[in-house]
Amino acid sequence: MRKVLKCGLFFVILFLIINVISYFLLFDKNVEKFGLYKIANYSILSENKNSIDAVVIGDSLIYSSVSPMEIWHNYGYSVYDCASAAQLLKDSYDNLKVALENQDLKVVFLEANVLYRNPKNKSWYFKVYNFFSNSFPIFRYHNNWKELFLNNVDDLNNSGVYKGFKYVTKVKPAKNRNYMKVSLKKQDIPSANVMYFEKIVKLCEENNVKLVLISTPSMKNWSYSKHMGAKDLAEDNNVSFIDLNLGNVLNINWNKETKDNGDHLNYNGAVKVSNYIGEYLKGLNIVTDHRNDSYYSSWNDNYIIYSNGLK
Amino acid sequence: MEKLIEILEELQPEVDYESCENLVDGRYLDSLTILALISEIENNFGVLVPAVEIIPSNFNSVKKIWELIERLKEEE
Amino acid sequence: MSYFNIIYIFAFLPVVIILYNIIPKKLRPVLLLIASYLFFFYISGKLIIFLILSSLSIYFSALLMKKIDKVKEEKITDLESEEKRVVKEKYKRLKRTVLVVTILFNLSFLFFFKYLNFFGSIVNGILDILKINYSFKLIKLLAPIGISFYTLQAISYLVDVYNGKVEASDSLLKVLLYLSFFPIIMEGPITRFSSVCDSLLKGEKTTYNSICLGYQRILFGMFKKFVIADRLNIFVKLTFGNYRSYSSLVLALGAIFYTILLYMEFSGTMDVVIGSAEIFNIKLEENFKAPFFSKNISEFWSRWHISLGLWLKNYIFYPVSMSKFVKKITAWFRKLFGSRVATQVMGSMALFAVWSLNGLWHGAGWTFVVFGYYHLILILLGNIFEPTVIKVCKKLKINRDNKFYKFLRIIKTCCLVVIGELIFRAPSLSVAFGMLGKIFTKFSLKGFSSEVLSLGLDVCDFLVVILGVVVVFVVSLLNEKGKNVRERISQKNIFVRWAFYYALILGIILLGAYGPGYAPVDPIYADF
Repeated sequence: MRKVLKCGLFFVILFLIINVISYFLLFDKNVEKFGLYKIANYSILSENKNSIDAVVIGDSLIYSSVSPMEIWHNYGYSVYDCASAAQLLKDSYDNLKVALENQDLKVVFLEANVLYRNPKNKSWYFKVYNFFSNSFPIFRYHNNWKELFLNNVDDLNNSGVYKGFKYVTKVKPAKNRNYMKVSLKKQDIPSANVMYFEKIVKLCEENNVKLVLISTPSMKNWSYSKHMGAKDLAEDNNVSFIDLNLGNVLNINWNKETKDNGDHLNYNGAVKVSNYIGEYLKGLNIVTDHRNDSYYSSWNDNYIIYSNGLK
Repeated sequence: MEKLIEILEELQPEVDYESCENLVDGRYLDSLTILALISEIENNFGVLVPAVEIIPSNFNSVKKIWELIERLKEEE
Repeated sequence: MSYFNIIYIFAFLPVVIILYNIIPKKLRPVLLLIASYLFFFYISGKLIIFLILSSLSIYFSALLMKKIDKVKEEKITDLESEEKRVVKEKYKRLKRTVLVVTILFNLSFLFFFKYLNFFGSIVNGILDILKINYSFKLIKLLAPIGISFYTLQAISYLVDVYNGKVEASDSLLKVLLYLSFFPIIMEGPITRFSSVCDSLLKGEKTTYNSICLGYQRILFGMFKKFVIADRLNIFVKLTFGNYRSYSSLVLALGAIFYTILLYMEFSGTMDVVIGSAEIFNIKLEENFKAPFFSKNISEFWSRWHISLGLWLKNYIFYPVSMSKFVKKITAWFRKLFGSRVATQVMGSMALFAVWSLNGLWHGAGWTFVVFGYYHLILILLGNIFEPTVIKVCKKLKINRDNKFYKFLRIIKTCCLVVIGELIFRAPSLSVAFGMLGKIFTKFSLKGFSSEVLSLGLDVCDFLVVILGVVVVFVVSLLNEKGKNVRERISQKNIFVRWAFYYALILGIILLGAYGPGYAPVDPIYADF
């Protein structure tokens, strides 16, 4: 029994030490306002107040397909990816709510693939993974000791230069096949997800945000029957729906522009999707180009770091 | 036994064979010296040393080596 | 899954530990076997059939050898000595046939999975030279994990049974577990049956102490791997990947870093392996003993990958040098040149066999073959010139026990080792020789510091590497001087002890080279 207590005490102290160090490493301007864990889990909170025009919410497809810095460079709009691996629609709803706490959003894009992820089937692996990476932000920020050591704290902007995007250049070609073959089948959306979708629609209406349902290119995750289901749901709720898979509008080259045999896009594919979103925002005519706005000077600095990191 | 020590002295002079108890484990005899030692033993004492018997515990001291020779003689 | 996978260390192992303690003592070895097979299956899938085939083959053939011995004893009890000899000889031959057949059976799998392609390509090359228009189709096979390790263990068991060093085990469970025990299956140490056979089946309860000490060792291994090896990997990958674009000093540094990386990765794995086994009260032999304190190459190989060196010594070196064929040749040389030369010849022939196999064991490729012979040449040169060096030292009145002289020898050995590991790591022989040529002919200091910092590691990274190496060095030095570091820590009071643990854990978390921008080293030895 004494040994169990000793063990327990050991881990409690370890936990405390890790926590203290986390605070030191996560020197973020908004930490005091939102707290360590919330900021670590929703990195959009560390953006300046009311600086983001649009967020793109969704699963791994989003952080592989949309690079906000590309949109910034070409159009001057501030976009942020609120994406996490195997996200559930409930998480998407939470992400949107948190984003609205500090931002006055104009447009919200929601990845349609999330509609089909049944909360009951969520794999245990992601549950465990998310639990750990959310409870111990230190694993994500551990390398910040270097900046602390070199006294570079001012250069650091913890929302990261990528603004939620994951930069991957690896190429793993996919077998070419027509994954969007027309069929009459319509894939059903789980009823729990329909409910959350309606909640998201309502939240957007209340905050005067335009909601766009979007399906980014993925051979493995999307199909014509999913398209039909998402289209119906969007129409029922009076929401715009863009399907970038249908007819391969972006001319994705599945031999070169995917990092894992057609599951996700790589950087080259993401440039195409990002430019599409930039163009779409331009067409909406409700957001403005901030490239010469001094409030956004950090975004210009960011782009320099970002482009230097491109291979 | 004296003959054995004589052989050893010739092969590797820098060791006090009377007292040393870790000839192999203390790296006083390397594997090549052991090979030379074995051929000398085979020539001088008329025994055959099979590969199986070449283990550190049989060669760690003069006493052990002598015991090995005696044992092999009996088995002949 | 490698031993450094978080899932192995913090999920698989704890689950096995918990289950191990709640089931009855008798079932515990069975649990270890099931865990081992699951582990193997997770990595190699259906190829597990080959592991089982090997295990069954050695189990039954060991029993058969035991039976032959028994029959022999019964037959010879009331025979005259001359007849005794004849009968003995007959059964010995029978026993040897069993041994050879089973060894060949096991080696055939190893050959099939690992060497078929290599020898196929050599044969194709010869056919090509002879202008014969035929070539064998080469297929790339995925070998069962750890086949190079468990096959050597299988052979050692068979030979030990044949020689009467261990008794053939009646327990199938014991033999199955001996060959597949999950901590050692992937990267060794190549363990002898006699050293673990008792503890494997004991099923002793894990204790608070065994778990603490086991995880302490595992943490130290993780430190070596995550803090040092994974960090250096960035630099090493670039230098070996495209050596032409780098200057000679950077290439030399790359080779040194690779040697450090290999040591940290492999000995770190051994820390995890030995720590894991320690939790279940199974004591494994050490595989490394501060190899960089060696004064010559043969000493290096008795401190580096010790279990492989011992295996080759016991099952190749002595049997070859004591074989009739070699003895005949030696006798001939003795007549002509005296016993000193004869012994050299005898040893050299055995060493040739040892290093041919050592090279090939590390991989089917020319770089590995050259890696083997490189060490063979160094050792032979050492053997031949040692007497001369001793004489010269005496003449010049140099004390060979002098600390400075020892230090010079250690540095010399390290340099030779780094060259060897460069050949080992190079993707091809032409790259290896290209790099060596550049290192030794195009020395220049120009632009060195900026070039070093352009290879993915910044000043902070280098500081961490230095810190990490110093920690490992101090621990090795203390162990080398006979001061058991682990024992010393456990004797300290709780505050000091916990401070050590916290420092280690936080060191791994903060200084570990993981996350974006770092690519971990693949388990290097698992492919062999």
